Amino acid sequence: MISGMTRREFIRKGLTIVAMGATAPSFLTRTALAMGHPFDLAQVTSRPGVPDDHVLVVVQMGGGNDGLNTLVPFADDAYYRARPRLAVPRGQVIRLNDELGLHPRMTAFKELYDRGAAAIIQGVGYPNPSRSHFKSMEIWQSADPDGRTLRVGWIGRYFDSKCPTCEVPAAGVNVGPTMPLAMRSDGGQAVSLETPEAFQWMPSLDGSGAREELELFKILNAPAPNEPGTIDFLRHTAMNAVVASEQVRDAVRRYRGGADYPNTRFGASLRLIAQMIAGGLPTKVYYAHMTGFDTHAAQQGAHDALLEQLSAGVAAFLRDLEAQGNAERVLVVAFSEFGRRVAENGSGGTDHGTAAPMFAFGPRVRPGLHGRHPSLTDLADGDLRHHVDFRSVYATILERWLGADPAAILGAPFERVPFLA
Amino acid sequence: MQQALAKFVPSASEPWDRARAAHLLNRAGFGGRPDEIDRIVRIGMDAAVEELVAIDRVPETTAPPDFSALRAAWAAAAALTPANSTERQRFEARVTAQRLDNQKLQELREWWTAHMLRTRRPLQERMVLFWHGLLVSGRPEVRLAETLYIQNELFRRMALGNYKALVLAICRDPAMLQYLDNESNRKGRPNENFARELLELFTLGIGNYTEQDVKEAARAFTGWTRRGYTFFFDARQHDDGPKTFLGRTGNLDGGDVVEIIFAQPAAARFLPRRLFEAFAYLRPEDEVIDALAEVFRASNFEVAPVVRAILTSRVFYSPRAMRTQVKSPVQLVVGAVRQLGLEDAPLPQLVRAMDLMGQALFIPPHVGGWPRGESWITTSTLLVRYNFSGLLLTGGMPGVARRAAVPPALPPEAARACEAARTAGEVTDRLVDRLVGRALGADRRRALVRALGASDAASPFALDGGESERRVRSALHLLMSTPEYQLA
Repeated sequence: MISGMTRREFIRKGLTIVAMGATAPSFLTRTALAMGHPFDLAQVTSRPGVPDDHVLVVVQMGGGNDGLNTLVPFADDAYYRARPRLAVPRGQVIRLNDELGLHPRMTAFKELYDRGAAAIIQGVGYPNPSRSHFKSMEIWQSADPDGRTLRVGWIGRYFDSKCPTCEVPAAGVNVGPTMPLAMRSDGGQAVSLETPEAFQWMPSLDGSGAREELELFKILNAPAPNEPGTIDFLRHTAMNAVVASEQVRDAVRRYRGGADYPNTRFGASLRLIAQMIAGGLPTKVYYAHMTGFDTHAAQQGAHDALLEQLSAGVAAFLRDLEAQGNAERVLVVAFSEFGRRVAENGSGGTDHGTAAPMFAFGPRVRPGLHGRHPSLTDLADGDLRHHVDFRSVYATILERWLGADPAAILGAPFERVPFLA
Repeated sequence: MQQALAKFVPSASEPWDRARAAHLLNRAGFGGRPDEIDRIVRIGMDAAVEELVAIDRVPETTAPPDFSALRAAWAAAAALTPANSTERQRFEARVTAQRLDNQKLQELREWWTAHMLRTRRPLQERMVLFWHGLLVSGRPEVRLAETLYIQNELFRRMALGNYKALVLAICRDPAMLQYLDNESNRKGRPNENFARELLELFTLGIGNYTEQDVKEAARAFTGWTRRGYTFFFDARQHDDGPKTFLGRTGNLDGGDVVEIIFAQPAAARFLPRRLFEAFAYLRPEDEVIDALAEVFRASNFEVAPVVRAILTSRVFYSPRAMRTQVKSPVQLVVGAVRQLGLEDAPLPQLVRAMDLMGQALFIPPHVGGWPRGESWITTSTLLVRYNFSGLLLTGGMPGVARRAAVPPALPPEAARACEAARTAGEVTDRLVDRLVGRALGADRRRALVRALGASDAASPFALDGGESERRVRSALHLLMSTPEYQLA
């Protein structure tokens, strides 16, 4: 399809062509035309049985989520012994079965669970876990505990692999100020934005002056051969920004979002993502952030509110997608860089730990509990032992949701976890 | 000094020129205007670096913010007890104090910004910013805004002082005690938050200690708490049992832990690397860091000799260093305002612009501090950075302020740049020299000439009222909306 050109060149040439051109509503069509490529999302499929209109939404719970107070092992006395102040009282747990239940503030989660739209993967982690936020987050985002490929992330490598709908600058959209390592790729296909209003370049002049100014802006920012790395990176980022800016604002203008989102930053991020999905962006992966899970002190209250935000936010998001008719296309996956120590500390909080549950949402998940809960008595240095490697979860998503080859992207074969069919 | 850290010696092929003088002012401060750069060229590198490093040479006159009303509000809230008030009264007193605290935090953010805009000690403020990004504390974890000011003043006082002393001071700093929870680190059930980051992010770096060391260090810091705005050692909460930390056993306390840390070879390399990366470039050569570590250790962990060695080194003035650093939002905003002579620009808008670029002063993203290098740049933040010049030139910027009906006057330094120029090409070159300090490619220069409304560089151009001002504004906005302007 892209003979004689690397995919990086393809992306860059396509971009430059578009950026230098006038204002077309859809970058995608223009690139396709420019490259003589009959781009039709409905027809391109890389793996039989996996539709190409699938969308993945990654939710990062930054700081280290306390898995034991999220999915509560209420039948286990060891839990109550380890957490005299912080344990969720047995009577308040939202029971999923005779041993495990959800935190009482996760009622919206429970509704999704009962409707078959939520899956919980228990005890996820990796060997020789790091308890550093930064190291562990790097490991999760690069999917590489040995730190060989820290330049690009696991989603970025998916963008760089053969993925037919990835050759656009908005293949990945991060809602937040800093691009996560997970989305970084050699081709630079991911963009970041926070609000659509601020996501545009404003000329200083009005009317025809503004149009001329924008034209000059594109000349000043156009990539050129043989330039030093940082300047080159900045030029391509600028071009991506200009193209994605038009796409995103166009999409967001077309759909305002119906469901009642919680009035939080996370809620606003999910609303924006729903708008972009409804607006028909060609985006494969969206990335949203929650922060504040690093609950070393006074955990109660703060953590409770976060769990409610997560549950209510995702529930509103899925309602919105259903109203749009897009729910079947979307998989939401939530992760954190680590769980927390089994025993509470003296500050009414918990210190950095290891294994924790991951969550997957959407009408197409295989609902319920997957894997088994880590033992609270057979510990490694006071921390839970993992049973599922997080790369198995990634492998499952890559193969069964995105239709990609997991071994190529993850560098090794990993077992699948049956939360997706 | 070792070869890797050889001193810069001017020569015919590498003279002490305007480009190198501008580079020094960019990195050790917030940039310089043409007359300042000329003066630095005249006095030479050694004298210039000495001026910058000898912070006390010039008096600092900015008045500190007034926290007395806020202290009174918190004291009033604390004085209410179930015996002398209703629950509603206590709640309202807390809300009043919290609201005032939030206002004061915003004031503090504007105060520091104003201070950076006007300071005559640019290296001191660059160091305060460096420490804020390394020994990180901030909202929302730090509940008392005044303690963030106290910490900011600590960084200012010890800007180029002794690092071991600064680390010991930060272990006792009321904002840090809140931010990393050491204020509630108690005997029996220690809180590891501070101990871990002290080792990982402040002094040694990952790989130079074990998980067991983290746990033992946390025990050593039990009982290190605060009473209000000052450090307090709570002997009842301190674990005085034997501990083994990095191979040393004894009844260790926090001070011993700091001593042991600085006896590690990794400690001598840690800060010099961070300093070099802040001033020169990322991912430096090992030999350069070896040489700096030697300077650091020999001075018993003084910061000034390391900074002096960096700023006078040959590598600092090498192509790898010059005009290759992505400006942080503070550098970008403060630098632009100073370059254009707009020190009276509305502070709330400048602060908001930095927030949108990803550098919210006193509200760092996490304990790891700010991004560095290309990590500052995403499609989102790049557009914000580009739009920022619109704020200075038209009064408007998406997400910050609506454009004024009547545009503000042309920035004084922009008008000055046009004064002696007669052609569109000359105006372009003067603006480029001031703002980028290096010539643009021919196509890009031509684009700016066109922005001035000229068909070619030789076309006459004079600053004579409305239309010509609009043209200069447009050219400036375009020039500041370039990759080149993002680098220092």
